[in-house]
Amino acid sequence: MPASTKVEVDVGGRRLTLSNLDKVLYPAAHFTKSEVIDYYARIAPVMVPHLAGRPITFIRYPNGVDGKFFFEKNAPSHKPDWLPTVALNGGDRDDSSIINYPRLEEPAALVWAANLAAIEIHPGLARAEHIRQPDHVVFDLDPGEGTDVIECCQVALWLRDALDALGLQGLAKTSGSKGLQLYVPLHTPCDFEQTRAFSLAMAQLIEKWHPDLIVTTQEKVKRRDKVLIDWMQNASFKTTVGVYSLRAREYPTVSTPVTWDEVENAVTATDLRFQAADVLARVEEHGDLWEPMLSLEQPLPGA
Amino acid sequence: MPPRSLWSGAISFGLVNVPVKMVTAVSQKDVRFNQLHAKDLSRINQKRVCALDGEEVPFDEIVKGYEVRPGAYVVIDPAELDGLDPEATHTIDILEFVDLDQIDPVYFDKPYYLVPERRAEKPYALLAQSLEKTNKVGIAKFVMRTKEYLAAVRSTKGTLVLSTLLYGDEVVPTETLETPGMETELSDRELKMAEALIESLTEKFDPDRHEDTYREKVMEMIAAKDEGQEIVAQPEAEAPARVEDLMAALEASVQAARDKRAGDKKK
Repeated sequence: MPASTKVEVDVGGRRLTLSNLDKVLYPAAHFTKSEVIDYYARIAPVMVPHLAGRPITFIRYPNGVDGKFFFEKNAPSHKPDWLPTVALNGGDRDDSSIINYPRLEEPAALVWAANLAAIEIHPGLARAEHIRQPDHVVFDLDPGEGTDVIECCQVALWLRDALDALGLQGLAKTSGSKGLQLYVPLHTPCDFEQTRAFSLAMAQLIEKWHPDLIVTTQEKVKRRDKVLIDWMQNASFKTTVGVYSLRAREYPTVSTPVTWDEVENAVTATDLRFQAADVLARVEEHGDLWEPMLSLEQPLPGA
Repeated sequence: MPPRSLWSGAISFGLVNVPVKMVTAVSQKDVRFNQLHAKDLSRINQKRVCALDGEEVPFDEIVKGYEVRPGAYVVIDPAELDGLDPEATHTIDILEFVDLDQIDPVYFDKPYYLVPERRAEKPYALLAQSLEKTNKVGIAKFVMRTKEYLAAVRSTKGTLVLSTLLYGDEVVPTETLETPGMETELSDRELKMAEALIESLTEKFDPDRHEDTYREKVMEMIAAKDEGQEIVAQPEAEAPARVEDLMAALEASVQAARDKRAGDKKK
């Protein structure tokens, strides 16, 4: 197949035109656009349920992970007619503009996004039908200089135990980059103010117990040799990388759900580093470890 | 409404002092466009973001840096620059007078009008009329905001015009260009013919005769669009020949990429 040809495909009854399939998007790994699309097509059955209904932000890398990238929040004007959107105001600061986010509700939608070189898929925390009600809390554990995912694992375990004491179950996934993320499914009435207040309180509590390893503010200077518990992601306009999304790193690494056993037993950062092919094999073996995020109902304390 | 005053002080030469205000002599007529979001025609806001982490940077975290070598910056505090600012003297100090045609127009930068302050009308008129009669120009220095300028003060129809001048080293010398200069030998006949042609096309300069036709065309187009005559051409999408199953379409391409990787590893 010549590099520049377009090919029209049928995905679950939807016609899509794919282009530039042989373009290398990850030069260090020689991982091509066809492989990005192939990954998203294969992961779609487990990934789409976690995206459905949510406003999606794309991070597009039309010239590969080493090239210029851009955040795309508004659904592009050339989107397929069958692709739904969800309107949400800009949210942050005094920006009152409306953004029509795309929604990815079926495998064809994910393939369409992959064909736009939307390597990273970042869903919002609430679904369209109750857009003011986040259905989970996120703790994004970001390792500062001098630390890596192993320190994040320690922090995640402390957080897990604190949540456990409140009767809340948390799930862990790699960020696919350097960090680890802990999610708490809710699916019960609450709003972003409550989830933000809760995540800040939890973060500060853990920071108080372990001030030598944890910070809860973004200031760069304070983050050396420490893990940032980023609780500020709990906002309507914020997005965290979606589960099973590729990351635009040197290699096609994926934000991968991991078991608490894996978090406890990780010794080196590579133990928790999964590339596209690893993730497909893990899903074959374990199924969707992120499945509780879809339905587990847990009331937020104080909500 | 008279233009807003940009500077006030006094023209000074010898023992003469003429208090004046400086106002702009140029009203820019460029067609200005706004950036809009194509989807909803909202205005585009610019954010200052850190090139390193993409985070928005608040004003109080922005400093000035001068790139001394590629990638190496010296950070300058605005207070340090304040110390170097020329003293704001509020005088236009005329250093000398020269004939107007001695100044190559290439040195003229920006024109401003000088208008007399109250009760300075008489010395102002005296300076303006005598400059015009002698066809002389005052070469002056003055400080506006934090910069010292060289300027030419002349008179046109009784009004003093101050033009900031480029400094000598700001103008690229013509010797650096590959123009034939004055040395090229030309025959008398050629020169006479060219001079005659120039004579026959010589007119009095009338700035109002020349109009910015591009600006007019743009404004006409905007007016037409505003009245709803918008015609936007839609490019035809090219239709690929045949429809394939996704995995079948990907198969060859994915295999080629894997083969390439396997080949690289063996090397």
